[in-house]
Amino acid sequence: MTTTLSTPRAAGAPPAATTRVRQGIGERLAPYAYIAPFFLIFAVFGLVPLLFTFYVALFDWNPIGEHIFIGLDNFTRLLDDARFWNAAWNTISIWLLSTVPQLLLALGLAHLLNHARLRFAVFFRMSMLVPYITSVAATAIVFAQMFDRDYGLLNWLLGLVGVEPIDFKQSVWGSHLLIAVMVTWRWFGYTTLLYLASLQAIPRSLYEAAAVDGAGGWKQFRHISIPSLRPVIVFTIVTSTIGGLQIFTEPLLISRVAAQTCGAVRQCQTLTLFLYEQGFGQFQFGYGAAIGVALFVLIIAFAALNYVLSTRVRPER
Amino acid sequence: MKFRIATSALLATALALSAAACGGGGGTAAQPSGDGKSFEFWSFTGINQKESVDKYQKQNPGVQVKLTEVGGSTETAQALTTALAGGKVPDLVLIQGDDLPKFVQQPQNFHDLRQFGADKIKGDYLDWVISQSTTKGGEIIGIPTDVGGMAVAYRTDLFKEAGLPTDREEVGKLWPTWDAFIETGKKYTAATGKAFVDNAATSVFYQAVNQGPMKYYDPSGNVVYSTSPQVKTAFDLAIKTVQAGITAKQSSFSDGWSAGMGKGQYAVISAPAWLLSQMERNAPDTKGKWDIAAIPGGAGNWGGSYLAIPKRAKNPKAAWDYITKTQSPQAQLQHFVDTGSTMPTTPSVYKDPKLTGLKNEFFSGAPTGVIYTNSLTGLKPFLVGPDSAVIGQEFLNAITNVEQGKGDAAKAWDAALANIKTAIGK
Repeated sequence: MTTTLSTPRAAGAPPAATTRVRQGIGERLAPYAYIAPFFLIFAVFGLVPLLFTFYVALFDWNPIGEHIFIGLDNFTRLLDDARFWNAAWNTISIWLLSTVPQLLLALGLAHLLNHARLRFAVFFRMSMLVPYITSVAATAIVFAQMFDRDYGLLNWLLGLVGVEPIDFKQSVWGSHLLIAVMVTWRWFGYTTLLYLASLQAIPRSLYEAAAVDGAGGWKQFRHISIPSLRPVIVFTIVTSTIGGLQIFTEPLLISRVAAQTCGAVRQCQTLTLFLYEQGFGQFQFGYGAAIGVALFVLIIAFAALNYVLSTRVRPER
Repeated sequence: MKFRIATSALLATALALSAAACGGGGGTAAQPSGDGKSFEFWSFTGINQKESVDKYQKQNPGVQVKLTEVGGSTETAQALTTALAGGKVPDLVLIQGDDLPKFVQQPQNFHDLRQFGADKIKGDYLDWVISQSTTKGGEIIGIPTDVGGMAVAYRTDLFKEAGLPTDREEVGKLWPTWDAFIETGKKYTAATGKAFVDNAATSVFYQAVNQGPMKYYDPSGNVVYSTSPQVKTAFDLAIKTVQAGITAKQSSFSDGWSAGMGKGQYAVISAPAWLLSQMERNAPDTKGKWDIAAIPGGAGNWGGSYLAIPKRAKNPKAAWDYITKTQSPQAQLQHFVDTGSTMPTTPSVYKDPKLTGLKNEFFSGAPTGVIYTNSLTGLKPFLVGPDSAVIGQEFLNAITNVEQGKGDAAKAWDAALANIKTAIGK
């Protein structure tokens, strides 16, 4: 930044000394002024609430009553709270179940859509985005009904081949699967298009050369497409990690009964839902804030892990 | 939560009705409406509150009611909490009974309604109902709009198929106790191969636990959920119901429960008064196939709501006017007559011919006024505490878990106690 700014000054006619100093300050400050709106808004709506959350987490905070300072008691309670660990495992389980198949599916679809001889390519590519632009609530309600025990489409189909109805929402794996399917459904198109954009940036000549050398479709995919896609794969893993750790709407909406716990035994209660239940269901703002801090730490940890992975990937290219 | 949604619907309906009936209210003198004639009112969705508010405005020209249907009863209580914590508060708000203790514990957020004359009318309401909105210091922060009472709704056509009596008196005699209720269920299921009752958690546990003098708190406010015999008995009854294999495993207020109601998936459902209008909406095609009998154990109450005025309300007097005009004994009675679903909280009208003569056509002409009044007269009130809702939910969850085939019946009680201890810390 400094170099680009100083270059025109050096090239232009030198102004009077005082003006130059003044301009120098102005010019040096200008870029900060340009980016200031974002940071100001971020400070007001991001940083302040974040810091305030850390503060509230140190209190027994009744929103309409007393605020009693209790130090780190909320955190020690949290570490002993089986509901917290349950929510943490649920979150990670749902995240894995939704991310891994989603990225693989997107990879395969992007490869197909990238095929040179594909007809109606634009139509197929655009239709990928339809689930993405559908409201989450609508998706959640429709899928919850499809997986319903008594009147669900899926169990009706299973019934045709003589399988007893499965109560997806009541079981741990069933409810995780249901949520993972919703998340996958919503995001696979978006991820596919990201991969597709990257694939189209790979020169055709590479594939042609590989074909001349006798490499088949799979070998081309494995040795040309995948290595070229690495940066975007890392990017999608990072974003889906951050998103996956904050899954909220889907578990909240699949069950109208005991919605805040996602069922009778918290079988699919995620961390954000646990936060919501404690903070806004039970009005324990302090404890809710402590959960928020724990989630923050968890996301930072995962992001750091992703960063390490991505920096290790880069040199290989 | 399910109860809250349903109850809120009931309450809202009750409010609407009472508002409609305001002209008939004569129990108390209306206070002068003071500065503002308009006020803001937060209520629940799905209870057609707008209609009652419109009627109130028609009958009280010049009064402007700005009604906001915030959401279900839970959402409304959440929004109220947020508003009290530092936002714009309404002048009048409807609070469902389960949500009430948290607000009663923090009375500084509300107007003590005694300043408007609530102490003069508090004798109009059932002692144990208004005591729930009265603080230890005697401040009254809410006026009750309705109570649920208790009864059992059953399908006469399905009972006939199963060879059971269909007359409501005889049906009531089938189950003087919950054990007899379970035995009846076994007979029904043996004869028809179908489920008898919708679920064990709500239709058995939540009723039985409300029938007795000491629930989750003792009279001095100590938590006794783990030692109160009433709680353990109710819990064991629910588990017994599950093990008898007579439940449809449909959690109350779930989609499957609503659908099953119209399809005859179960023949019996525990129905407080506020559930009646909801059943009518859920299963309109079953009109005339239902009837109502007495609850096992005879008496009890489930549900009810309150109207409160937040401290920072701009027009508390206009709100109070609305309360006195829509919640007087005569107004509550008229509201019940109109809705058929909002049992008055004012015992002075319990002998009124308008109430005793009330029949509900959807339920084969059952005398709902008499049935629900009877369920309230033998009632033994218990203390409701700040964590009652959480404790009740954990017990329900433990039973539901066994019912859905995931939990171990023998360990369910201990699991519920452990979960409650985690949740409330005592």
